[in-house]
Amino acid sequence: MKNNVIFFLGLASALAISWAGIVLGSNAQLGSLAPFYDDSEGAAFPARMAGAAAQGQLVYRDMGCASCHTQQVRRPGFGVDKERGWGDRQSVARDYIYQPAPQLGLSRVGPDLANLADRKPSALDASDLLHLLYAGAPGMPTYRFLFETRTLGVGAQPSEKALKLVGALEPKAGTEVVPTPEAESLVAYLLSLKNPYTYPEAVPFTPPAGEGEKEGAK
Amino acid sequence: MTMKSEYSPTDAASRWPLMLLIISGASWLVLAGVFALISSIQLHTPSFMALCPVFTYGRGVAIAETAFVYGWLANAGLALALWVLMRLSGEPLRAQNWALGGWTFWNLGVLGAIIGLGLGDLTGFELLELPGYIQLILFFSYAAIAIPGLLAWSGRLRRVSFASHWYAAAALFLFPWLLSIVHVMLFSAPVRGVLQPIVAGWYAQSVWTLVLAPLALSIAYFVVPKVTGKVLPSYEFASLGFWCLILVGGLTGGRHLVGGPVPAWIASVAVVSCALLFFHTFVVLLNLRGAFTAPGVAVKFIAFGVAAYVLGAVFDTVTSFHVVAVQTQFTYFDEAQKQLALYGAATTILFGGIYFAVPRITGKAWLSPLLVRGHLMLSLLGIMLLVISLCAAGATQSHDLLDAKVPFATITAHTRDSLVGVTAAELILLLGNICFLANFYGTACEILKISSPATFSPSSAMETPAS
Repeated sequence: MKNNVIFFLGLASALAISWAGIVLGSNAQLGSLAPFYDDSEGAAFPARMAGAAAQGQLVYRDMGCASCHTQQVRRPGFGVDKERGWGDRQSVARDYIYQPAPQLGLSRVGPDLANLADRKPSALDASDLLHLLYAGAPGMPTYRFLFETRTLGVGAQPSEKALKLVGALEPKAGTEVVPTPEAESLVAYLLSLKNPYTYPEAVPFTPPAGEGEKEGAK
Repeated sequence: MTMKSEYSPTDAASRWPLMLLIISGASWLVLAGVFALISSIQLHTPSFMALCPVFTYGRGVAIAETAFVYGWLANAGLALALWVLMRLSGEPLRAQNWALGGWTFWNLGVLGAIIGLGLGDLTGFELLELPGYIQLILFFSYAAIAIPGLLAWSGRLRRVSFASHWYAAAALFLFPWLLSIVHVMLFSAPVRGVLQPIVAGWYAQSVWTLVLAPLALSIAYFVVPKVTGKVLPSYEFASLGFWCLILVGGLTGGRHLVGGPVPAWIASVAVVSCALLFFHTFVVLLNLRGAFTAPGVAVKFIAFGVAAYVLGAVFDTVTSFHVVAVQTQFTYFDEAQKQLALYGAATTILFGGIYFAVPRITGKAWLSPLLVRGHLMLSLLGIMLLVISLCAAGATQSHDLLDAKVPFATITAHTRDSLVGVTAAELILLLGNICFLANFYGTACEILKISSPATFSPSSAMETPAS
């Protein structure tokens, strides 16, 4: 390699090729993805995120929750995501179009959260989630800095938001534990995590009956 | 020994930017080790330091990674790339003020990024945990540090260039472009939805294959022929191996997205590219195989790094296949692969490069041969324990995750023992790196002593085989 110009042009074009291929290619395919309008339901999916939930997504990101939790359900047959109750269908690109900071995640130290608010038979509600954040769980740290311990004035009523803690976690008499605004928006976000609608592209391909029989006979 | 002739006045004239880059890199390495140790304890004991938001697991991991990649690997890699290009140009570094200015702002930028991460400005992107407001500083300061390197490249004595040249110049040239692209697409005008993880995955892979790996390979290609005293075997393939990495490397990023909510072709392209990249890995192994039999601490580090580089490429390819990915995806296997590449390959090669370069830059032998050998032992032991423990944890976790009846509390209990092994490994690595920092600091202080004679004496530590 004796020619400087050709060398650096080569480097620049190699970078340009991989950028154009991967980044521009997927942008051309997905960049203009629109919500899906269902005539029979008279509504478009996915729904826009509520303001509190969008704020909560930023709290989720700032705490680094994605270092232990994914938010992408793999298709039935590829892993056991469905059997674990994480979702009946695979996640598709359309699920994320309204999310300001999608948190797909790379690690499952904890469970997938893509459909956290839609667990069957019963999903966690706000007070369960706040308790989980305050108390932690096996393998999950506590997030007590998202809560505030306040002293109750003489004769004052406890706050409606105060956590109902029992046993070792119970606050001292005359004090109460209330969630900070960050904790509240994080919970609002977690409660917004559900993808109830099945888009056409999320339905797995089923081979025609004839082929299926042949494979079964093998 | 030919050591005496190795010392040249060009080294002395270029020493300041190089020494500053290395010492800041070694300091960030120790800081990264502290945070990695805390995070690894939290994996088996989640309540450890959980009350302080700065040390909460997600932030601790991000800080450790940023200090490691942008603090340690970048600083040390840039120092050695500049040194290689300066050596091959045959004259002292030109435009050293640019390097000094770049060094100042680069490290202020990394410090700012780490403070920002501690306060919660995470981005959520792997290998890009740099708050948006820091990225411009890093862009300009990296470019400033690259200027003396590119001047040394264009002002080289002979028109012919060597493999060390290509890898160093590629890393110096490509990073600012990469960072500027990703800054625009993820921060100033963010793309929508899942395009963000796609862009981030492309960046993470590109920063490894186009910047960090070339920085390490550049010094390996420089040191190995010097130590063995022979022309590199099969050197005629080196340029093909180089262009294979540059062309194909950036396309392998999609393998982590297999089965995810992205177009399936992204993962397919990654599988094919991983297989193509084998050619590059094979060429590197062929060229640098002399390192495995050569004596000396520096080349022992490099030999270990080359072995880890090859093993890492095999790992990447095997885990990119669907049948394997369904098992290993989202488990500690991913972390094992990352550590094998960033620690096992890049870091050990840079250690080897520093052990080779510093006595030549300073004109002094390493202060303590004992600390050099201690660092070698602790590093190799720590890295092997780290990768093996993570793989063991990954195997348990993968088995349990694929059984829908096993709850997460049980998985945590099952992986506990292996994760304690990870903590032990992080502790060993941290001790080794403290030895390294102390030894380097002591050696650097030697050149400040005016009374000491400026003659070069052959370093015993550098050339003694570690027994």
